[in-house]
Amino acid sequence: MTAASEIVKMKVCMAGEAMVGKTSLIRRYVLEEYDDRYTATLGTKITKKNLAVAHPQDGRRVEVNLILWDIMGAPTLRDLLKEAYYHGAQGVLGVVDLTREETLRELDAWSRSIRTVAGTVPTYVVVNKSDLEAKARMDRETVDRFCRDRGYPWSYASAKTGAGVEEAFEGLVRQVLSG
Amino acid sequence: MRRPETSLLVNEALKKDANDVDALFVLAALRAQDGHPEEGLSILDRVLGIDPDYPGAWFFKEKLHRMCGETRQAQMAREQGEATEA
Repeated sequence: MTAASEIVKMKVCMAGEAMVGKTSLIRRYVLEEYDDRYTATLGTKITKKNLAVAHPQDGRRVEVNLILWDIMGAPTLRDLLKEAYYHGAQGVLGVVDLTREETLRELDAWSRSIRTVAGTVPTYVVVNKSDLEAKARMDRETVDRFCRDRGYPWSYASAKTGAGVEEAFEGLVRQVLSG
Repeated sequence: MRRPETSLLVNEALKKDANDVDALFVLAALRAQDGHPEEGLSILDRVLGIDPDYPGAWFFKEKLHRMCGETRQAQMAREQGEATEA
């Protein structure tokens, strides 16, 4: 007989500038789809995914009901809508575009905004568009230093190819479970 | 490529569908940002009339009521938001 799994509901919010690929990462992770055409997100979109993970502290099986909040990347409305987006957030996936260095620096502004609503929540940084290595505008050392200084785990991914996408979302889930 | 202007996106979406809740939600935010939270509230009530579970709408309503100095309504919106997102 196997022990019943613990079920955990988890609200995770995407953060990051417009066009870094927040929506594409969710589509790739949940639907295994990718569309090269850019469609700006308006308002708030929620996508759900259930996954089973081993608890990082003791290995017990946990069923996670992941609720992914995809939000507009327009920074002009970020502070006005912060309560709407981040109330009750348990984790944040900060998304950076490898081909635009400013998207890394701007994560600090997103983080400040989130902290005022949700407190210090686990944050994981994913550097998206890793398939565009030839057009990279930030080196690995810069990313490493930025994330290490702030205590964020990080990894690279490509919503286009799917490489590293699951690892990023599940890395955040494990981080949240670790408390 | 640049992200299109938010207000243009909203207008385009509402031309296609006057009840597009995403566009109405953002329109409410744009009106509040322009210094008209009471107009934002009125638009947000339309959003909640179409979709009472629209993500984040109750907490945004709480904020707009606070911007209008309406403490009691703000508290009611917050309670509704907590019940909706529980």
